[in-house]
Amino acid sequence: MERSDVRSLYWLAGFLACAYALPFVVGASNGNVHFTERWLAYLATVVLSGILQGGVYAMFAVGLTLIFGVMRIINAAHGEMVMMGAYLTWASFFHLGVDPLLALLFTLPLAFLFGMVLQRVLLDGVVGQPELTGLLVTFGLGLVMIYTVELIFTTDFRTIPYAPATVQITSTIAVGQNKVISFAMAVAISAGVYLFLRFARQGKAIRATALNAEVAMVCGINVRGVYLITTGLAAALAVAGGALVSIQFGFNPETGVVYTLQAFAIVILGGRGNYVGALIGGLMLGVLEGLVSLLVPNGTAMVELAAYGLMIFVLLIRPAGLMGMKEA
Amino acid sequence: MSRREHLRNLALIVVFGLALAVVPGTVSVYLRSFLMFTMMYVVLALSWNIISGFTGYTSFGHVAFYGIGAYTCAILVADYGWHWIPTLLAGAVVAALVALAIGYPVLRLKGPYFAIAMLGAAEGTRVIATVWDSLTHGGLGISFPNVENSFPTYYAMLILMVLTIAVAYVVGHSRFGVRLNAIREDEGAAEALGVNTTLYKLAAFGLSAIFPAAAGGIQAYKVLYIDPPSVFFVQITIAMALMSMLGGKGTVVGPIVGAVLLYTIQELTWVNFPTAHLIAYGLFIIIVARFMPRGLMGFAIDRGWARKGMVH
Repeated sequence: MERSDVRSLYWLAGFLACAYALPFVVGASNGNVHFTERWLAYLATVVLSGILQGGVYAMFAVGLTLIFGVMRIINAAHGEMVMMGAYLTWASFFHLGVDPLLALLFTLPLAFLFGMVLQRVLLDGVVGQPELTGLLVTFGLGLVMIYTVELIFTTDFRTIPYAPATVQITSTIAVGQNKVISFAMAVAISAGVYLFLRFARQGKAIRATALNAEVAMVCGINVRGVYLITTGLAAALAVAGGALVSIQFGFNPETGVVYTLQAFAIVILGGRGNYVGALIGGLMLGVLEGLVSLLVPNGTAMVELAAYGLMIFVLLIRPAGLMGMKEA
Repeated sequence: MSRREHLRNLALIVVFGLALAVVPGTVSVYLRSFLMFTMMYVVLALSWNIISGFTGYTSFGHVAFYGIGAYTCAILVADYGWHWIPTLLAGAVVAALVALAIGYPVLRLKGPYFAIAMLGAAEGTRVIATVWDSLTHGGLGISFPNVENSFPTYYAMLILMVLTIAVAYVVGHSRFGVRLNAIREDEGAAEALGVNTTLYKLAAFGLSAIFPAAAGGIQAYKVLYIDPPSVFFVQITIAMALMSMLGGKGTVVGPIVGAVLLYTIQELTWVNFPTAHLIAYGLFIIIVARFMPRGLMGFAIDRGWARKGMVH
């Protein structure tokens, strides 16, 4: 590592320390910080559910980072895919009566197929063009998705009542059962994807293409096939994320933008195109959002600012993020 | 182009403005406000074009300045009893200051990262407008005292539009504009040739924030009620970007053509298909970005239908 690289890493660490300290400072100045046992239990609950939340974020952010890593396309429609996943789950829950997790068995293949079609119809033509073209094209795609969903489901907020019970961890710390289930699913899926990328033949081909598409092609890898699988996988991850989000929060067609920006923040924090970085970034964002919602007055409305702030400052301080390579 | 041609073109803009000035008395209230909103989108598309077309920094967050203008107007009129016209100026000043504050760090980012950061900045502004109750009345929004205002807002928007077109024209044909284009084509080379790129980018960004703020103020006074979701609406940024891209970004005539064309289509379709026109917007963006990156004007120039100098 070069010296400037190391220095910017220190700056980033310093910034993150400040970012995590800020909610406490704001909370203390508003009298929201009490060192009683009860408050500490609250804090522990919030951090814990932040981690649970972050696991789900991390999973769908991996989809964004995969597409970027392999094709250098910034997929601005990623959050809309998450939103679409939430609606698919909702529709199969209310119209077909299928359990949200069981629904993954057919929504995931559907999403994979959707991703492949998308790749063939739209993204194949964008690979290799200036990054802005990809961003604009996927942005347009996102709009089409938002308003198509709106046409079908209207703008009403939807929720899925699922596993509303709580899990007692200690006598004072409890988290929602749906959060625990989501987290477990997210971990399982992330681990599956990790193993696939690490050991499967196709997974290795994806990593090779991400490293250098031309050399991969020369080595006999079907690069277009890799693109196809990558986008399919990314869409499936987003839809899985949507399913796991839908059993915890309300959603409407326009919530996708928030997920897009959260995924951007995670990917940028973790390092663009870096799989492990995205996982770490997801957990970090989850915890920060939890702290903001607990400590800052009016916190539930301010939560979104955590992602936007992280994204902008990390881009400014160290565009490569925590684990990223220096841009060539 | 010669000095005479420039004078002729500027005179043309003024004549065009005067022609629009006699219209409102002769048409229905509906048509009058339709024209007003068309002019508003001309203003928005042209100002977006100054930073994103001339300078090449695609902003996905320009609605922030529009919203800031609308809020400045609403707060000063409703809570401080100002007359609405000076609030437009105040809004422009506030928006320009915010633009400089946001732009100084964010304009260091290149291409797509600038675009994403601006998207985040605009969403952040919306959240702040929602949360800062004591100043903005939060999610409740702000209402104005009810008055008949279709004439004054029409004329205010007309003056603003003529001003914006004139400024865009002058920028497009000045050394300043040439330097902005140099930044767009190759920022490193521009810097090596002695262009103070940071300064010029900031100036372009500040300039492009002023007009949307004034337009936001006029619009707020026209519809008499604002709240965070309505004035910090992502779709307004999208409209600005799409109108200028469709017409041909980086030109002066392009965004005007794009704005008039798209707003008319939108007006004709939204009554019957309230969400369909938004789906069409998405498709348009895809098509324009993929197949016509230089827009209708680029298309026309390539075929010799328009002279490069006229639109550039």
